Amino acid sequence: MAYLSIETISKAYRKNEVIRDLSFEVERGEFLVVFGPSGAGKTVLLRLIAGMVLPDRGRVVLDGADITRDAPDQRDIGMAFQNFALYPHMTAYENIASPLRSRGMARAELDSRVHGAANLLRIDHVISHLPKALSNGQKQRTALARALVGEPSVLLLDDPLRNVDAKVRYEMRLELPRLLRERDTTVIYVTQDYKEAMALGDRIAVLGDGAFTQIGSPEMIYNRPANSRIARLFGDPPINLLDAQREDSNALRIASNSVALPTRTSNSAVSSCVVGIRPEDVAVSLEAVPGAVPVEIDAVTPLNDRQVMLLRADDGTEIFASRPQADQLAQHDGAEQRGRRRAWASLDLDRAHFFDKSSGGRLLEPSPRMAEAAR
Amino acid sequence: MSSQILRTLRIVLMVMVGLFFLFPLLWVVLMSFMTNVDILRSPPSPFFVPTLRNYVALISGHLSTSSGDVQIDYMHNLLNSVILSVCSVVVSLILGVPAAYAFARYKFRGGEDMAFTLLSFRFAPPLLVLLPLLGYFQTLHLYDTYFGLVWVYQLITLPLVLWIVRGYFEDVSEDIELAYRLDGHSWLATFFKISIPLARPGIAAAGLLSFIFAWNNFIFALILGSSAVQPVTVGALAFITASGIEYGQIAAALVLSVIPTLVLAIFTQRYLVEGLSLGAIKG
Amino acid sequence: MSTLTLSELSKVYPGSNERSVDDVSMAIKDGEIIALLGSSGCGKTSTLRMVAGFESVTSGTIRLGETVINRLKPSERNVAMAFEGYALYPPLKVRDNIAFSLLRGRTAKAEIDKRVNAVSDMLELGPMLEKFPPNLSGGQQQRVSLARALVRDASAYLLDEPMSQLEPQLRALLRARIKDHMTLHRMTTVIVTHDQTEAIALSDRVAVMDNGVLQQFGTPDDLRERPANLFVASFIGEPPMNLYTAEVADSELVVLDERGQPAFRIPCQPGEFAGRRRLSIGIRPHRVHLGDANGADDASGAAAGSAVLRGEVLSNHWLGDHSHAGIGIGGCFLIAVADRHVDARVGSQAVLRIPRGAIHIFDEETGLAVAHGLRS
Repeated sequence: MAYLSIETISKAYRKNEVIRDLSFEVERGEFLVVFGPSGAGKTVLLRLIAGMVLPDRGRVVLDGADITRDAPDQRDIGMAFQNFALYPHMTAYENIASPLRSRGMARAELDSRVHGAANLLRIDHVISHLPKALSNGQKQRTALARALVGEPSVLLLDDPLRNVDAKVRYEMRLELPRLLRERDTTVIYVTQDYKEAMALGDRIAVLGDGAFTQIGSPEMIYNRPANSRIARLFGDPPINLLDAQREDSNALRIASNSVALPTRTSNSAVSSCVVGIRPEDVAVSLEAVPGAVPVEIDAVTPLNDRQVMLLRADDGTEIFASRPQADQLAQHDGAEQRGRRRAWASLDLDRAHFFDKSSGGRLLEPSPRMAEAAR
Repeated sequence: MSSQILRTLRIVLMVMVGLFFLFPLLWVVLMSFMTNVDILRSPPSPFFVPTLRNYVALISGHLSTSSGDVQIDYMHNLLNSVILSVCSVVVSLILGVPAAYAFARYKFRGGEDMAFTLLSFRFAPPLLVLLPLLGYFQTLHLYDTYFGLVWVYQLITLPLVLWIVRGYFEDVSEDIELAYRLDGHSWLATFFKISIPLARPGIAAAGLLSFIFAWNNFIFALILGSSAVQPVTVGALAFITASGIEYGQIAAALVLSVIPTLVLAIFTQRYLVEGLSLGAIKG
Repeated sequence: MSTLTLSELSKVYPGSNERSVDDVSMAIKDGEIIALLGSSGCGKTSTLRMVAGFESVTSGTIRLGETVINRLKPSERNVAMAFEGYALYPPLKVRDNIAFSLLRGRTAKAEIDKRVNAVSDMLELGPMLEKFPPNLSGGQQQRVSLARALVRDASAYLLDEPMSQLEPQLRALLRARIKDHMTLHRMTTVIVTHDQTEAIALSDRVAVMDNGVLQQFGTPDDLRERPANLFVASFIGEPPMNLYTAEVADSELVVLDERGQPAFRIPCQPGEFAGRRRLSIGIRPHRVHLGDANGADDASGAAAGSAVLRGEVLSNHWLGDHSHAGIGIGGCFLIAVADRHVDARVGSQAVLRIPRGAIHIFDEETGLAVAHGLRS
């Protein structure tokens, strides 16, 4: 049986249902990432679990006990917030000690636990400071130490790295899993950064319009997105979603060009659909390639050591391509690289996703190659 | 060069403005050390032989005028002022702070209306309220009691506390309170250890303002109390005697009556400033 | 469009003894896109505001084309600016906000409409043209503010944090479209940003600033491959460069961990760093080749010119089109980026190959670059 289970929970504010019949389960020691765009109800969901907001319907069950109506202080839940929520009138030490003080812990043990947590998060040197004297990174570490020190059954992290700078965010992304795995903590982590979700989550739950649209491993979500909206949320630049019509049994018409279909799809009932193809699966060449779509390279915008290109087909369709900087497109014998250039884009439909035009739902299982990785 | 001139000009201007606003106060302080003769001399002169006569008269309670000795009870008035103001502020804080918290945190039916009604007491001219109140007070035997006056002072101080403190509570992030609850602390502990300390600058400001308003009230005390409970504002009327107005004593009374408020303001300042320096209440 | 030249530009705010902008010189070519990059308080915004004319110049000159514009009013400089706080006119519809500067001139109505429509198509603002700014989200308002600057015919375009609030799904597309637009119209552009990915994505050259001082002004490739000092090296790149302290021994560099203990060694030519005892070394995560412990991978041929290290995999994050692996070597932590799914399990052993040319050497005290790549 699952450690924490949320059972068909609903919450409305003024008839506007923010969370609708939402259910999920988290195993003990699991790291579940709740991912969704802003306004999808992520924060309300965490507050329901924390007990700050009571649901209209449904149950919250922790380790077999129904805690739906328990007060927050009776739940044994730790939480870290996007805005840190440190107590501004208490030192970092007192902030961290707060969960222990509520249990009336003996002073010696409290002291050693607080210092232990501060050491772990590398803030022992600023432990006597007030929050206003801390950098944002230190504030978030203090907040995490406070959430961890009481060793709660469940840890809720509400976009904790949102307000720290890029460097600290990256550091914490590496550090957090190690910290938490050591303690076997059950974590629900909310974020709107897909990289954070993929890096941290054992599983990712994609929240859209008050309900989960897909729950699965990062590989699953990336390689077998349930619909085109989810596909667009993961990946930078986002997946290309191209309108396609069936031309004949072996080809699709995309961007006014004929693109060959892989054999596995040639017999299926795919007629007109939306083809989702990730930028890294679009190969760009400066010489004509048979079967490739002629395009102009409108702009090259490097991104973290990848070369990202915005391509425009002759009918105006925009296609993103991305490749490692290391094998970047050869520069035209020293000629100026700026400005538009003619090129040819090969779309690897074997790695593409096929979505329904109106509903956006997935039409075909991914190719065995990708299904392999999605397991 | 030009900045030098500008700076000098700015200082001169500032001194002038300062003098303009502080002059009445300064003059009152000087007056409190003058005899009536000095005060009424024309043209007025800042040079005179200072005397403590006014203060001695106030403190001893014997006022000798040209038409004989008059008994005054100024020190008793001062004590009344302190009792009335302190009690009013304390009662207002005890009632108003939790109410302000409720208005800030919980949206309940009619909440806004209730808060507004409390504020609306301040709209009516006090006299309009007073005459019917006088009737009630006499029936209820509240006339000329501390309790009655403190009660009626709530009309002044409670809305003030409620509205000022409410704003401060609204600025305290709910997340901070939730965090403290999740640390395992009860609702009550959270209120006293988190909400109140974070709203303290607001509470201090509201308390100070309430005190000043209560202290300076005249009309309620004049009508709803006799000499037994009357504060300094009403007591000062005694200096208008049959033989003339005792300006010197009025000035000295004024100086004495300012002292408690001044002390309180200096004491409260620490908390007002603390609010500014804590800063990151929101984040 | 025209060139923009800053010569020995400095700014001291009244009541301060420090130079918020300290002797900054840069020559921006006609039609070039540059970024002023740095963290808050580095002087990038002050520099931009001096160019725009909102701040007086303490010393130095600003030339737009051949004209010195130091003392001109902002309205006389013919520069377009997008403000960080958007600064939209709330009572005007989005359409009129964008067209505002054109309405003031003598542009024909039809021409105005054409240009407003073109720029709003580019920025995906079409459905919002008839709305009022307060009804838009932050990201939408930012796009309006950008459109208002880009629609103008100006000698130079100044964009202050122009894309910080953009919706993540639109960011890549708008970056590319805007870059295309600016290149096509040869718009001389200065972008102020704290986000190095944005600076690298958009600009021809990037000026990295710290403490009011220009640290390096170069192409994205320059900043990546030839950082002038430790500040630039640690500021550019995601994940950032791995940086360590090393002691110089006879024919090797002994890399130290945080506690000063030797963690691993990189061979170098005898005498390559004669006269130095300690150095800082930097290794870009993207240049580290990651293989498994058996060493049977494709990089064996290249291994001749590489330093080979062994370590334990401490983390392995797959991000879709690339993976970040954290490797512990001795007491040091090294991040490697691979362009594929890396199978290495946490706790397993890994072999790293670092091309000698990808090892950057900095002076430990001054932080200045000594060499980019070891001699082989």
